[in-house]
Amino acid sequence: MSDDADIPAPGGPESASERERVVAAEFALGLLEGEELLAARGRLATDPDFAARREWWDEWFAPLSDEVSGAQPGAHVWDGIAARVNGAQVSREAASVSATPLEGPSNVTSLDMERRVRRWQWTAGLSSAAAAVALALFFSAPGAAPQADEAPLIAAGAPLMASIPIGDTPLRLGVTFIPASDEMLVSASGLTADGVHDHELWLVPEDGSAPQSLGVVVPGEERRMLLPENIVQNMGPGVGLVLTREPIGGKPEGVDAGPVVAQGQLDAV
Amino acid sequence: MSVAAPSSDSSRSSKSANEAREALRAAMVRLADGDSAALEEIYTATRVKLFGICYRILGDRKEAEDALQDVYVNLWQRADRYDPQRASPISWLATFARNRAIDRLRTGKVRSGAVAVEEAAPLPDEAPLADALLVDAERDAQIHKCLGTLDDRAQTYIRAAFFEGHTYAQLADAADVPLGTMKSWIRRGLLRLRACLEASEKGGDAA
Repeated sequence: MSDDADIPAPGGPESASERERVVAAEFALGLLEGEELLAARGRLATDPDFAARREWWDEWFAPLSDEVSGAQPGAHVWDGIAARVNGAQVSREAASVSATPLEGPSNVTSLDMERRVRRWQWTAGLSSAAAAVALALFFSAPGAAPQADEAPLIAAGAPLMASIPIGDTPLRLGVTFIPASDEMLVSASGLTADGVHDHELWLVPEDGSAPQSLGVVVPGEERRMLLPENIVQNMGPGVGLVLTREPIGGKPEGVDAGPVVAQGQLDAV
Repeated sequence: MSVAAPSSDSSRSSKSANEAREALRAAMVRLADGDSAALEEIYTATRVKLFGICYRILGDRKEAEDALQDVYVNLWQRADRYDPQRASPISWLATFARNRAIDRLRTGKVRSGAVAVEEAAPLPDEAPLADALLVDAERDAQIHKCLGTLDDRAQTYIRAAFFEGHTYAQLADAADVPLGTMKSWIRRGLLRLRACLEASEKGGDAA
């Protein structure tokens, strides 16, 4: 225990440059969330010095994981991995042969869709009209694209784009995903903030798992960010995106997401 | 093991650790070259350690198993990201797994830190396997030494962030202090930690 650390925070004990010196460490430890986390992910894609510093911290922290006790996963875990790897290989080989049935979790049936919509409980504030639109989107999405396109593991290349209309306005939210670099661009250049709400963008994975937050949309700005791999693997043509209205700062921990205010889907350009 | 005869024990175990590390490194290179069969070898050698990490962060067995699947499927997709010249393979994989688990925590609805430490260690007989893959002992000693120079509070919260995957807000809540205070404590610790680690890289008087 040292006494000097007891000074609370009068006059800002740490300067902006000090904060800058440790932000990569905060990112590596996982301390950041919300806007700060998004900013750090953005820098990872655009700032090589920052990326190198993040890696430096990762390498230093890595030995600590030796203190974590090992544990045996269930035998089904390997089966799942093998099925996904084999399934992706099949779909890569099948390439344009859309008749080839996909194996494993990538084969989305309408029953799966029903289940996942039920599991995904949008509650407070979700108007029935919006719900109907959302459900129609979910149910029509899988049929719209040929089956081979639905593999969540996209083999290569072409950017995916979504242009999401905002209510009755002529405004659109532009979302572009670049598979080659795992980057996502969110363009909200025409939008303005109302001062009481934020809007959070979500990806609706094809495999029926819970929607994944893509972050709070910053009105009037174009944001570029590197997506984490658990999101990247769910990216693919036909994948749904929804925009929800949330309190400032995005969906609070432990409560349901706010009402869906817009939706769209990613498609190959 | 016996305290009386540490030297023969440790040299034997470091030899097998080297062999295990090299076998793993070779499998990672084969995987990057497109040999999918190498994935099973890597899985067999590392699943206990990586599952332990995911479980500790996510605090839920089912979630941790899902995360573990993602880890190895991602690994298969991105094996070329591993640079065999640089990092120890297990250290790289441990970081990879932890980052995936953290991503999952931040994007999903999972709660962190729900599991007691004892609960997360159901299979002590598997521990030797993980030990055989120990990361670089010198770096291990150095990070512990540098963490040891921090005041207790900074050490405690930095470790909680690493092991439980807690955010600033969660740590502040748990400690019942304002967010700014928690940030200030941890940032000071990280500044000092950075200085200590950098000095060890430059000075070479690490041990």
